[in-house]
Amino acid sequence: MVKLLTYLEENALSVFIREFPSVFGFPTILFLHTLGLAMVAGVSIAIDFWILRGRAATAPLQLLGLTRTMWLGFGVNLVSGVALLLAYPAKALTNWVFYLKMALVLVAVYIATRINRELAASGGLVTPAAAFDARRWAIASLLTWAGAIVTGRLLAYTYDVLFAYELT
Amino acid sequence: MLQDVIHWLVSTPVNTLVMDYRWTWPTAESLHFCALALMVGTVGTFDLRLLGLGKGISPAALHYSIRFGLAGFVVSIVTGMLFIFGQPDQYFYNNAFKVKVVCLLLLGLNVCAFYALEARQVLALGPGDDAPARAKVFAAISLALLVAIMCAGRMLTFYRP
Repeated sequence: MVKLLTYLEENALSVFIREFPSVFGFPTILFLHTLGLAMVAGVSIAIDFWILRGRAATAPLQLLGLTRTMWLGFGVNLVSGVALLLAYPAKALTNWVFYLKMALVLVAVYIATRINRELAASGGLVTPAAAFDARRWAIASLLTWAGAIVTGRLLAYTYDVLFAYELT
Repeated sequence: MLQDVIHWLVSTPVNTLVMDYRWTWPTAESLHFCALALMVGTVGTFDLRLLGLGKGISPAALHYSIRFGLAGFVVSIVTGMLFIFGQPDQYFYNNAFKVKVVCLLLLGLNVCAFYALEARQVLALGPGDDAPARAKVFAAISLALLVAIMCAGRMLTFYRP
């Protein structure tokens, strides 16, 4: 484990991300991660509220522009997240909060996909039973996104080691 | 004058609450980010609809959730004030913070102008209707300012005095 972490943090890309002496390095990656979060969680949250209000009776194609924005945000988060992980692999991979965050993100993304699929399967007309189901998914989505955001923030306060050498 | 304000802020019980309790700052930060997602999600999605994305939904249906965005904004302000009470000198002398405050004020002005000039026509639009050009300008400005606020907020740490 220590070998792998040392290898990761000593690799050229990791050093570049961590030590690039400009605001366009690490700070910009952090900003992109926040922007991605706002896009993926934000749009998902807006769709959840819209479903909770019982306004889910629309064709999924009409939601396409918004869901594309959501997935674009997810892509930005994935790339920036990998970059942040590469910069400080020991900090994240030795912290159980990081794994909890990843689990919550996976669940939230699964729920977002499920909601889109449910809307698609309904053919645009949500029956009362399906609407109830959609509401349940929307509440689960709101809770998991909140959990993912909170655990993401807590990463900065819960780590025990910053670099792999601290483990030896 | 600014020093007097800073001295007063650090002498308040709020400063003690923020600085002397280990979990106050992380909790406030977590809430700040949840509120950010709520605000950008609801307001930003409404802006995207005005710009032509998700046209199958009427702007009025999406406008309903703006109230949650407003709640998010209030939580952001309250938690943001906690940070300022905690470390006022880190904010008052920070250029990123100044940019953030200016963008927040501009966003407020943009919202006021939108509701005064355009909201009535926009909220009367149905699913599939295109928003008027002026409403699109308001939406584009709003989105740009939201992104600028997030960017300035993220840069606070890197422009510490």
